Amino acid sequence: MHMIKPRWIKPVIGASLVALTLSAQAADTIKIGVSGPLSGGSSPMGISMRDGVKLAADEINKAGGILGRKIELVERDDEAKNERGVQVTQDLINREHVVATLGFINTGVALASQRFYQQAKIPVIDNVATGSIITQQFLPPKYPKNYIFRIAASDKIQSHMIVEEAVVKRKFTKVAILADSTNYGQLGRQDLEKALAARGMKPVAEEKFNIKDTDMTAQLLRAKEAGAQAILTYGIGPELAQIANGMAKLGWKVPMIGSWTLSMANYIDNAGKNGEGARMPQTFIQEPNTPKRKEFINAYIKAYHPAHDRIPSPVSAAQGYDSMYVLAAAIKQAGSADSAKIQQALENLNTKVNGVVTTYDHPFTSTNHEAIDVKDTVMGEVKDGFVVYAYESDKKGH
Amino acid sequence: MEILLQLILSGVALGMIYAVVAFGYQSTFATSGTLNFGQGEALMLGAMFGLSLAGDVMGGPYLNYWLMIPAVLIFGAFQGMVVEAVGVRPAIKTKSEFGWIMSTIALGIIFRNVAENIWGKDDMPFPSPISSTPLHIFGASVLPMELMVDVGALLMMVLVELFNRKTIYGKAVVATASDRDAAGLMGINTRMVITFSYALSSMSAAFAGVLIAPITLTGASMGAVLGLKAFAVAIIGGLNSGMGIIVGGILLGIAETTTGFYLSTGYKDVPGLVLLLLVLAIKPSGLFGKTAIKKV
Repeated sequence: MHMIKPRWIKPVIGASLVALTLSAQAADTIKIGVSGPLSGGSSPMGISMRDGVKLAADEINKAGGILGRKIELVERDDEAKNERGVQVTQDLINREHVVATLGFINTGVALASQRFYQQAKIPVIDNVATGSIITQQFLPPKYPKNYIFRIAASDKIQSHMIVEEAVVKRKFTKVAILADSTNYGQLGRQDLEKALAARGMKPVAEEKFNIKDTDMTAQLLRAKEAGAQAILTYGIGPELAQIANGMAKLGWKVPMIGSWTLSMANYIDNAGKNGEGARMPQTFIQEPNTPKRKEFINAYIKAYHPAHDRIPSPVSAAQGYDSMYVLAAAIKQAGSADSAKIQQALENLNTKVNGVVTTYDHPFTSTNHEAIDVKDTVMGEVKDGFVVYAYESDKKGH
Repeated sequence: MEILLQLILSGVALGMIYAVVAFGYQSTFATSGTLNFGQGEALMLGAMFGLSLAGDVMGGPYLNYWLMIPAVLIFGAFQGMVVEAVGVRPAIKTKSEFGWIMSTIALGIIFRNVAENIWGKDDMPFPSPISSTPLHIFGASVLPMELMVDVGALLMMVLVELFNRKTIYGKAVVATASDRDAAGLMGINTRMVITFSYALSSMSAAFAGVLIAPITLTGASMGAVLGLKAFAVAIIGGLNSGMGIIVGGILLGIAETTTGFYLSTGYKDVPGLVLLLLVLAIKPSGLFGKTAIKKV
């Protein structure tokens, strides 16, 4: 039998199919990737970040989600390894079809992975990794749009604060740099050198160590022989603890001032009393000095029961939590879970987001993808196994 | 002078850590010509098990450090028997040349994953059984715990040598080591001897674990680097010499600290590896090893 098809039948079928998929999608979840090391030396940061993100996502979902849709987090362990990070990234983009990703603890992993997000035009909010160049890789006009955003104090800010603390506030004239051999440590070392050079200084010694090194005698003796009055560090918890323990063993105790990783629980626990007094830049200290912070700390402890009621890495947890809320605000403003529209919304965020670290008022622009400024950062100090404000005056204001 | 002494003392302490780990490679190689590439994980399991008994990670402490050691030794011996039964015996039975390499590596990975699930993935401090105030020797500092590692390593060397030379079981091990088929014909149960050597190997690794943990930090990933460095030590010193392990360890340890200080801390691992390459090129059986003649 010969069937006569009216001309309009194809477009109508097409349109109804589109409508069908759209309505199916509306009931769908919004998939957001979470990538960080959930194992190894930097896992306290990865786990705290993940838990912070989860806490925020749960709150948002309880309040009805975004645009009537629930958030679905897709967590992946990148093991702090560059190649693993790339695999995770491919998986999140191509198989899970995430609309945006939160995470990256390790600068090396971030640098290796983020170009895939840039190519796929999927925004990333880096909420822990601090390498200065992370947000600078895809700047316009060379790239039409930069998809990499950050809510964390970059190494540029941190090295500036470390040097200010050592040179201006504590008036040390001879400092040594001890940095690990990873991307994180070596890029941080360069930033420290630049910050010192800006004050006309050079480190008296510059030493390297590897992840899992247990003996720091050679590095410390070189710093000691060069007459260092303080040690500036760029590394992660376990090895930083071995530096503090090594100093105690050699009977040579000078102040340790370093990147924010000196606040990691695995530094504090493994160094014990040898680790007391170390100072580091922090965007958040576990101190309920604003209502929002009090609420956040209580919710975190209630949800995850950390040992001694101490968040393993408070900074990562707070930045993770805030990054989820900023992203949620952007999705809401974009009016859809379209990655390109979310990127635009992030660059022109109209709603103020009241976060744990700070209040985000237009956090990003098309040229500035850094939400955290020097004014959002304070000096922390290890005291009795906790990180506290190094300066009382910061405790009230901030 | 003071600095050189400090570098040497720290190097010896570090080298002895490598040496105690390296002992485990020896006993299995002697009897069956196989190695447990999960040695680092055996060490880690011993340390984590010890920490669960003597520390507060599993709601303890249940035992003090000294009473915990025998329990860890038994645990280690048992773990070694499992490795031998699951990973090595099938390979020896089928006369597979390389099967045991893959299976011991695989078992090592499995053990690490299990440990990560039981104890978490983070590094933890191990309570030191003795004072952690450093001692001063001619202006150089050394931790009491480091001296204990030195004593432990020497003790292990003496015990292994005494066992091999003085006891009937030791003689069975030596006999199996020199010719497995002939030893079998002489009525020695060579399969038992090989199982035993694996038990001994993991036992010494577990002991090494609790011995070094107060210095090195404890965690599921602690065995990876140490196992590898210890392997280098075993090759440098010779896979069938107790003395060689100690000397190899000390050489590698001192090479690391002195290069770090006098050359650059960025290159501190290089001389040890150069030494390894030299030994392999000039005397492949190790500095103190006896050359094995393979008759075909």
